Amino acid sequence: MWTYILRRLLYSIPVYLGIVLLLMACLRVNDPVAGFLGKGASEEAYQAKKESMGLDRPFVVQYFDFLRQLVTFEFIKVPDEEVTASEDGGAAVLRSRGIESWSQEGRTVGQILRESIIPSISITVPALCFTLLISIVIALLSAYYRGRLPDKLMMVSAVLGMSISFLVYIIFGQYWAAYLLNQKLELEFFAVQGYEPGAANWAHYCLLPVLISTIVAMGYDTRFYRAVMVEESGRDYIITARAKGSTKRKIMFVHMLKNAMIPIITRVMSTLPFLVMGSILLEMYFNIPGMGRALLDSIFSNDFPVTQMLVAVFAGIFLVSVILTDVFYALVDPRVRLS
Amino acid sequence: MMRRFFRSRGVRKLVRDRLAMVALGVISIYLALFFMMWCGFLVEKEETFERVGANTEVGFFEEPTIEQRLLYLEFYLDNLYSAADSRTPEASLAAIDLYGRLPTLTDPDAVIERIDPLWEVYDELVELYEDDAFSDDPESLPRLEELEAEAATLYTEPEGLMGRLALALGTDRQGRSIFLRALYSIKIAVQIGLVCALISVAIGTILGGAAAFFGGVVDHVIVWLYSTFSAIPYIVLLMVLAAMFLGSAFEGTLVPVYTAFCMTFWIAPCRVIRGEVMKLRELEYVQAATAVGFGRGRILLKHIIPNTTHLMFINFSLLFIGAIKAEVILSFLNLGVKNEPSWGVMIKQATQEVISGFFWQIGAATVFMFVLVLAFNVLSDALQDAFDPKHV
Repeated sequence: MWTYILRRLLYSIPVYLGIVLLLMACLRVNDPVAGFLGKGASEEAYQAKKESMGLDRPFVVQYFDFLRQLVTFEFIKVPDEEVTASEDGGAAVLRSRGIESWSQEGRTVGQILRESIIPSISITVPALCFTLLISIVIALLSAYYRGRLPDKLMMVSAVLGMSISFLVYIIFGQYWAAYLLNQKLELEFFAVQGYEPGAANWAHYCLLPVLISTIVAMGYDTRFYRAVMVEESGRDYIITARAKGSTKRKIMFVHMLKNAMIPIITRVMSTLPFLVMGSILLEMYFNIPGMGRALLDSIFSNDFPVTQMLVAVFAGIFLVSVILTDVFYALVDPRVRLS
Repeated sequence: MMRRFFRSRGVRKLVRDRLAMVALGVISIYLALFFMMWCGFLVEKEETFERVGANTEVGFFEEPTIEQRLLYLEFYLDNLYSAADSRTPEASLAAIDLYGRLPTLTDPDAVIERIDPLWEVYDELVELYEDDAFSDDPESLPRLEELEAEAATLYTEPEGLMGRLALALGTDRQGRSIFLRALYSIKIAVQIGLVCALISVAIGTILGGAAAFFGGVVDHVIVWLYSTFSAIPYIVLLMVLAAMFLGSAFEGTLVPVYTAFCMTFWIAPCRVIRGEVMKLRELEYVQAATAVGFGRGRILLKHIIPNTTHLMFINFSLLFIGAIKAEVILSFLNLGVKNEPSWGVMIKQATQEVISGFFWQIGAATVFMFVLVLAFNVLSDALQDAFDPKHV
């Protein structure tokens, strides 16, 4: 088992190096400094900005410096008053202050990350739980009534639901659930947009985005889980269970569900990185200051340090969760690690 | 290769699937419309930016409210009147073209003479409406209808099928035809879908096939490449790639969209085809081909890749849907289609209108897109059932 984990870890190192290379190359296709300062900037300002990020150095040096920042977790640093005040040279000050954002002066990437992670998670985690519960129940029912009317109805509505754009759900969801309710019934249950921290405000600001993303994800998940259940229902142990006289219901909900948990959990694990990412569209539309919106804002304001760091961090989280998924899978299914 | 594929058992199974055939029919209609527009028939790009009527006119089955009717009347009267009243009345009048609906009168004085008495009636009606006395006065509704009939005679009848359909789904906030824009978006969507799905499947097949067949270093490099690309969340990668082109010469064209999609989408077919080729290369017929003395490249291209045709079709279908849906999202984020109407652009514009209760633009874009995506979803399912029934 340990050799498997080690192999998996070692294997992901070149992948991460590749991601960083790809990301840095992509972001340097257009000169980030020129993009940020605009056309009217003076030559001195341009050079100063370029030097402040170290963009004047050769690409290889920048690459290894960026890797150093990632490996030493410099990106989560926030400005530290005492260290900034000390006079031990420019470089040391820069290092202790973390990586500063361009468009939001005085703020570091670390601050942006810390502030935006809670709003993102407060939408995605409940959404994941709702989706999981509802779609597993629907998938079980669907597999139970396989080929009969309820199954067909559920699968048809899943395909129909999948064919509508996410955006349309968001727009109509906001219009009907938030806007019309507020206006016609004078019910201030859902906020039209915005976000405030605190559990008391959660339902007001976050419940509607959560519901929307649950509905959108349900179509895909239900179909996947149903396929899993249908595949499981053809296995030998089901026949054995039936032969020894178990009821159909018991076979479905006890024997099958337990075995179907492996692919289900794998799928859930693989969606974990998106929990951190948040849903960019929902955050943008409902004006929720989460991770996805931080990234989007940084792209549009040409905030090069923030974009670069956020994508690198996301990719790192993604990679870690992929490794965890594989390890978990190997734990529950020994065939994987032997092959 | 194709002939063998079309005679396979899977295809016969697919043809017997009635729902899949309906979906295929729908897709063919969309493709036919795409080719017609691609050859310059039906709608031109410029026409989707032309004014065809008053602002936010409602579509064919919705009855406009009194307020809306008064607003439309004001537009149609004022459009002619201000042209005739301008400094160069003849030229201004001749320039009026509401997608084939021209002014019936070409003499500016005659126009002013005709419209002046109509303004009086119009003002009275507006006053009645503003005092909330419109429904109290039984005379007012017939007067409004009479005025509308009068205003209609000021313009010629629309020409041709397109001219009549231009107002069928109403107009957006700039008076542009929603129907024409939604129709033209088919061209953009199918174009993006075809280009991206074809290129992605081609790249994925070649790389996936090569990785599995040659193994060793080639396999390691290709697996490393797709692990790298797939470790960045898909939507983030799309955004970064599309943002790469902001400010470059390609901004405003479809090149950023194509690049972003192709670089993201090749991963799925590559993975699937690598797995399939891994299985195929162990089969006896490949050993036989090797024993006969065929080159490795030839075996891969002529003997192994043709046996993955069904996977190419399934992936093509899935990626086509992916491209259309991702286009909508990218366009909404201002990173996708620009200077051209597309369903994403329409939905983006419609967000302003939805708040005031105007659903024609978002509705039209959604329905046009829904039908195409649904057809492809049904087709992908049927393809999967027919060729790859074991797939979860």
